[in-house]
This record gives sequence, structure tokens and C-alpha cells, in this order.
Amino acid sequence: MTAIDRSDPDRARPSAAEPGAAADLTTYLRLVARGDADAFDTVYDQVAATVFGIVRRVVRDPAQSEEVTQDVLLEVWRNAAKFDPGRGSATAWVMTLAHRRAVDRVRSVQKESERERRTAVADVPFDEVAEAVESSLERERVRRCLGSLTELQRESVTLAYYGGYTYSQVASLLGVPGGTIKTRMRDALIRLRDCLGVAS
Amino acid sequence: MRHTRDVHTLAGPYAMDAISPPDRARFDRHLAWCEDCAREIAGLREATARLAAAAAVSPPPALKARVMAAAAATRQRPPGPEPEPALRTWPLRTWPLRTRPLRTRQGRPTPSRRLVMAAGAVAAAAAVAAAVVFGVSSGGMRDQLSQAQASSQQVAAVLTARDATMMTGAVRGGGTVTIVMSHSMRELVFTAAALHALPASRGYELWLIGPAGDRAVIMLPPARHGMTGPVVASGLRPGDHLALTAEPAAGAAHPAGRPTTPMMLDVVL
Repeated sequence: MTAIDRSDPDRARPSAAEPGAAADLTTYLRLVARGDADAFDTVYDQVAATVFGIVRRVVRDPAQSEEVTQDVLLEVWRNAAKFDPGRGSATAWVMTLAHRRAVDRVRSVQKESERERRTAVADVPFDEVAEAVESSLERERVRRCLGSLTELQRESVTLAYYGGYTYSQVASLLGVPGGTIKTRMRDALIRLRDCLGVAS
Repeated sequence: MRHTRDVHTLAGPYAMDAISPPDRARFDRHLAWCEDCAREIAGLREATARLAAAAAVSPPPALKARVMAAAAATRQRPPGPEPEPALRTWPLRTWPLRTRPLRTRQGRPTPSRRLVMAAGAVAAAAAVAAAVVFGVSSGGMRDQLSQAQASSQQVAAVLTARDATMMTGAVRGGGTVTIVMSHSMRELVFTAAALHALPASRGYELWLIGPAGDRAVIMLPPARHGMTGPVVASGLRPGDHLALTAEPAAGAAHPAGRPTTPMMLDVVL
């Protein structure tokens, strides 16, 4: 019942950028919830690069990024039964988990001396990550949509999401009132959502 | 209305985890009844997931084997809401004013945040009932507590507990007390500064008073350089108060009874 025929071409590990990926991930998560290790193997292949990518983007340190990635994937394994498709896609569920874990990690080790990271983050060009193969199309799309934002919106999103900063930290980095940053972040995400054609 | 709109502007930061723990808690409460907001957050999270996808990098191949092995050794959680851990729901209430989680000074996450907020919620009512006037915590007291940390493992264990919460207040008759309490350990560390000096024949005694019975905790040692303690009170139970009385130096003759002398301090734990 829980075995997955991985020779089935329809099941053959769609990449995250393919339209069928989300539905498949949901299906596989259901199987994972029942303890299906093969399904978890597939889930790993589908999400590991994205999880590792965003964690590394936020955490930076490669060894710590691996640790956090492992934690996130274990949490997917442990909590697969808690995933509710009515409240968002499986991909968003996993990425929310991953980003939050990454942010928790940097905030728990954050000290003043580490704040030099901030210039590094602000200067990171968006196309810094070149290793990913599968998601180059996705990266292009996201880059184009980020480009459609105002500069303040784009900086707010980049610092907050990729940099792991709180909105008040972003506000002080950019020298803009916190209230302004809050609304820019929301506006920016709404525009990104619409630009990326996200079904909500 | 205004409040709702204010909270709602947190949607963007919330969807990107760019939010402090108290703001996150506020927004979570907001989401609990605002279906539109929950839908909006779901949509924004689809967008942030795409931001993550654009950052994809293949992890080292060895990671997979580690994750698979760890999963094989990890029990999965059942569907449905998680029961609260028993210790978290232990119905102690904190002293209502000037609560100060120990680990916030560098903006670290605060496990005791919920506790602190719960204390804030009851502050209005409890402040009226409180038998003492509360003062402002002094840096000197905190320094004293830091010293105490080095001197006693038991004290250090409470001070460094994940849910340690610091409370300070003024003693009727003079002096300031600082309490650091860990609900999970059911222990607190008590120190006092500048307590009114008593004649040699008398001393201060610490009590736990509650539905489980009244217990003498300890006769406080004489003050040194104006500082009393630290002492540890263990075995806190739900409904306990912490009380301070002046007693004959040998200790009160009524260990099982309520103190008959006036209480200098009555803390609703």
C-alpha cells in the first residue's frame, strides 16, 4: 500500500520548478506521514536543495547550514502528519519550516560582533548562487519579479528573507521608519505573489 | 479598528519571519480569528517559498544518508494538535510586576515570553491584591545574582534554566528582593538587599504558603554588605505564595502553621 513504484515515469522526481511538483509533494508527504521511508527518500530529493539553499543563504556557515537542513528535514519526517493541504502548498509548508529554522539559528547565535555580516548580505548580488541546476528557470523568474519591485521593496525583502533580519533591523539598516518597512514588505510580497502567478 | 489595522501591517514581516517573538505572538492571535489574514499569509508564503526555490543549492551528498538514518531512528508525531507538555501548563502565576526574562538582553529568543505575557495579563488585577509595593530592579542586585551563580551549583541551575524569570520588588518595612524562578524546575532563588536590620535575637524567615500546606523554607542568613542570600526554595507547588516574616532567631515555633507574625512580603507565584 505504501510502496511507491519509482520506475513509474509519472512519479519520476519532478523538479521544484515543474507544475506537477507541488501536488506530488503533497502525495508523498501523506505517505511519509504513514512512515513510508521510500516516500521520504523522494521528498528529500525534491526539497533538499531548496531547503539547503535558503538555509545556507541565511545562515552562511556551511557546517551549520547542513545541521539546520538536517533538522528541517527531520522535522518534515516527524511532522508530516501535521501538514494540512487546506492551509497552503506542501512546498510552502516545508520552506516556511526551513526559513524559520534558519532564522532561529542566526538569531540564537547573533552577537554584536557578527553584525559585520550585514554589509556582506546587503552586497550579495541576487545571482550569487550559481550551483543550482534544477531551478535556474525559477531563479530567472524570481529575479525578474524582484526587479519589478521598487528599490526599497526589493531591499526590504532581500534583507529580511535572505538576510534573516527582523523588520526593525531592516528599518535601521536602511534608515527608514519601521512602519514604512512593514508596509513595504507586505506590498512587496503581494507584488511578488502576483508576478510569480502564485495560486493562493 | 486601529489596533486591527496596526496588527495587520505585520503580515509582510510575519510571512518572512522578520518579526520579534512578541509581535509574532500578537499576529498569531490575530490570525486565529481573521480568516482573510490567514488566507493572505498563505498566499504570501507561496511567494516566499518561490524566493527560497530561487536560492536552491544541492547539499553535500553525504547529508542524505545522515538524514535518512536519523529519520529511521526518529518516531513520528501523530496527526492532530499536540498535547501541551505538562510542566508548561503548571498553573503557577508570576509576581505581576517588573518581570524580566533573564535572556533577553542580547535579543535572544525568550522561552519564558509566554509566561511573562501571562503575567502582564493579570497585572492589573494582581497589582491591587499584591501586599507589597514593587520597586525598580537595580543593577546591583543583578550583579549580586551573577556572583551567586558562580558560588552555588543549585543557584546556577535555576539562574540558567531555560524558563528562568526574574522578578524584583520592595519589601514592606524596607529593602528589595529579587527572585529568579524556574517553573520547570519548581525552584526559585531568593536574594534580598537592604532589608531592615533586626536585633540579633530575631531573623527573617522565608515561607511557602499554599493549598498544599505552609512550609518554612529557611531562616535567612544574616546580611553581608547589605545582601541577604541567595537561598533556594524548592518544591514549589501550584497556588503557592512566597512570604517573608521576622521571627525569633531560632526559627518560628509553628512550622506547619501559617506565620503568625506580619508578613513583610507576599508574592503570588
